[in-house]
Amino acid sequence: MRRWLLALLLALTAWPILAVTVTDDRGVAVDLREPPRRIVSLLPSLGETVCALGACDRLVGVDDYANWPASVRSLPRVGGVDDPRIERIVGLQPDLVLLSSTSRALGRLQALGLPVMGFDIKTLGDVRRVLSRVADALQVGGADAAWRRIDAGVAAAARSVPPAQHGVSVYFEVSAGPYAASESSHIGEILARLGAVNVVPGHLGTVPLLNPEFVVRADPQVIMVAQRDAAALAARPGWPRIRAMREGRVCRFTAEQGDVIARPGPRLADAAQLLADCLAGRLQGDRP
Amino acid sequence: MNPADDTLVAGSAGSFPGRADPLLEAQARRVRWFAILAAGASALLLVLGAAVGSLGWEPLWDGSEAARAIVWDIRVPRSLGAWLAGALLGLAGALAQGLFRNPLADPYLMGSSTGAAFGVALLLVALGAAPGTATGAFAQLGLTGAGFLGAMAAVLLTLVLARGVQHTLRLLLAGVIVGVVFGALAALVMLWEPEVLRAMQAFLLGTTGLLGWTGALLLAAMLVLVLVAAVALSPALDALALGESAAASLGLPLASVRLGLVGAIALATGAAVAQVGLIAFAGLVAPHIVRSAVRPTHRALLLLSTLAGGLLLLAADVLSRWMLAPRELPVGVLTALLGGAYLLWLMHRRAA
Amino acid sequence: MRAMTPAFSASALRVALAGREVLQGIDLSLPQGRWTAVVGPNGAGKTTLLKALAHLLPAQGRIELLGRPAREWGSRERARALAWLGQGQEAGAEDLRAWDVAMLGRMPHRPWLSAPTAADHASVEEAMRRTQCWDWRARPLGQLSGGERQRVLLARALAVGAPVLLMDEPLANLDPPHQADVLALVRRHVAAGGTAITVLHELTLALRADDLLVVDGGRVLHHGATGDAATHEAVQRVFAGRIRVHALDRHWVALPDA
Repeated sequence: MRRWLLALLLALTAWPILAVTVTDDRGVAVDLREPPRRIVSLLPSLGETVCALGACDRLVGVDDYANWPASVRSLPRVGGVDDPRIERIVGLQPDLVLLSSTSRALGRLQALGLPVMGFDIKTLGDVRRVLSRVADALQVGGADAAWRRIDAGVAAAARSVPPAQHGVSVYFEVSAGPYAASESSHIGEILARLGAVNVVPGHLGTVPLLNPEFVVRADPQVIMVAQRDAAALAARPGWPRIRAMREGRVCRFTAEQGDVIARPGPRLADAAQLLADCLAGRLQGDRP
Repeated sequence: MNPADDTLVAGSAGSFPGRADPLLEAQARRVRWFAILAAGASALLLVLGAAVGSLGWEPLWDGSEAARAIVWDIRVPRSLGAWLAGALLGLAGALAQGLFRNPLADPYLMGSSTGAAFGVALLLVALGAAPGTATGAFAQLGLTGAGFLGAMAAVLLTLVLARGVQHTLRLLLAGVIVGVVFGALAALVMLWEPEVLRAMQAFLLGTTGLLGWTGALLLAAMLVLVLVAAVALSPALDALALGESAAASLGLPLASVRLGLVGAIALATGAAVAQVGLIAFAGLVAPHIVRSAVRPTHRALLLLSTLAGGLLLLAADVLSRWMLAPRELPVGVLTALLGGAYLLWLMHRRAA
Repeated sequence: MRAMTPAFSASALRVALAGREVLQGIDLSLPQGRWTAVVGPNGAGKTTLLKALAHLLPAQGRIELLGRPAREWGSRERARALAWLGQGQEAGAEDLRAWDVAMLGRMPHRPWLSAPTAADHASVEEAMRRTQCWDWRARPLGQLSGGERQRVLLARALAVGAPVLLMDEPLANLDPPHQADVLALVRRHVAAGGTAITVLHELTLALRADDLLVVDGGRVLHHGATGDAATHEAVQRVFAGRIRVHALDRHWVALPDA
């Protein structure tokens, strides 16, 4: 009888050890009684993070745009970044929902009693932090190892850039507008690691809407743009004069490549390699 | 003796011809002054527009080749294009308010704005889906052409739904429906392919940033065409103000006039929206700016609304470049702020 | 001869509005050089009849204007032959000055975009003086009272200088002195050889006309001179005996039979 009571006491005191409290980017503490086994991700980079930590099998639902790794393509889709399907999410009975801290679904899901964690990923530092927070929530190790791999990959990409390209001026256009990625965006940070100079200074914001004349004045040596927007560049007044246009150093990224570069997540090393390939002139479809 | 006969006898020695009539001259003078002021302000702003660039105020008249290229290739056509687009919108606004006999009518009422948005969204998706086919010429013609075609398609659909131009109310209703439906379709396209969201956002808020000489010349050609048509239709607009029965009794071919008006509005807004995106409010406010200063017949109202619209959009464009250089404020936001502020001041003055 | 050709002649005139037959087969012949007043109870179809004669409504049956079928008249030609003054003013001309409104009456005479000629100026001035609105010709319509506006619109109709005047409730919003002026105007127009057809709901004033056209339920009940006993009888009948026509001075007066 006493042994049985002792065992019970022991079990009761051991119980809290399995429970974990993690803080997300909003500063909200989320209580997780046990490691989550049914995870829904509403942001592609967060889903990729979970998979990078080796917990891909725990994903039960992803957003409409998740496409890496291939295994997530067969998972149920629960909506886009701005319009998640609440019913679908709840129907999957997740024990953790990962999404952007500015998502409108956050409040609703929280009110429905689901454990949610909101993240704000804009810079390389954010990626590192998110890796460790998600690893804590999932109660898996490997966050540090994952970050070291990413870091090494970025360094390798930097090394693959020919020394002649160090200090080259670059203009990265995120979408027609023109919206450009500045020094303070994660793309800008990678470019800096690769030794390139971003013509768009960081104090303008991460993705500012620019006066096209600014790019003409800045006269970048390399232009990086999505394939769908590339053809219209020559039609912009004054742009044919830009060095990059005259010398044909316009890198056109396919939709897939664009995804890799645009998502600040575990594939940063691949993104860095793509950008490095562009700078070195190795990118397929670089010159028409 | 009939008192009316007395005044007739007494007055027939007086005020003829009307040109020298002092009471009537007052308005002609005001019209002239307004036109001179608006034209002068436009010229001033054009000069300003050539001096304001991506770093704010920097007049580049130092004669160097690069500076000249920047001013002539970028700033001048942009400023001119902004004035021309605003002029087209102001003219279309005055025409729409005359056609629908409603001071709250704006030129987008027949769906041309959302039709253009839909056309542009479709093309952006197509360009993304098959990027190899987008050679320079296609892309160049592409977006503005798609916008223009989308606008025309929407107006045609409105005419079909309203079964012609017989009833103005039906035309208005059909236009609102078509506008809403095309707006929903454009939103659907953007939802389907979020990659085009950012590019569409720039279009939806209006941008003069990509106006070059081709765009400016196209706008100028369209302005001349629509102005000629508008001035030709101006007596009809005055007659329509008396009501449809009275206008018909004066021998006005109502159906042809309405068709001409719809066509002129569609062409003007289609051309403007295709080049600079959706600039809200400019078409609505320009005729009111004119009416607050002068109360002319339609011939003068149309011409002055053209000037007022051009002035408004040019001012908004210069400000949008200047305030946060090198970032840009969407020009549509500024036209709404400027136009809205003016209307508020007008209301305040009238109430006081 | 002009005196022989009626201003309007209609046979089997039918008009349907919103699916309802408003005019049910009207035959009439309105002579030139006379003032005909159209009277009848509310909803009798008086305005519809006037609009049909003015070719402002689609109508079935045959209508002839000044001896020629209505369809043969070009729109500008017709606009020069008949002037229309409608009931109720649409709110759209608030900014137009009184003079601009009156000048619109010259549209059928002017080539499309030309400036007003001396003849146009003269017509407009005369029309505005006759309706006594010349003094405030530069004031916008929006700043005028109901009666002043009505006089401007009348001036517009007069400025056309058309031989046939069709007027629907021309005395609306006018005070008695100005009502008298308008009646005198119409008299003068007819005396000069013109034709006037007016819808008037003021019976006593309608009895000043030369002829009375009594309309009820979309049909013509009676058409005759205002002095005839048969006409008085028809008027009393159409108002269900609630009014009586009396003689007063040289005129006829219709009073409610209390």
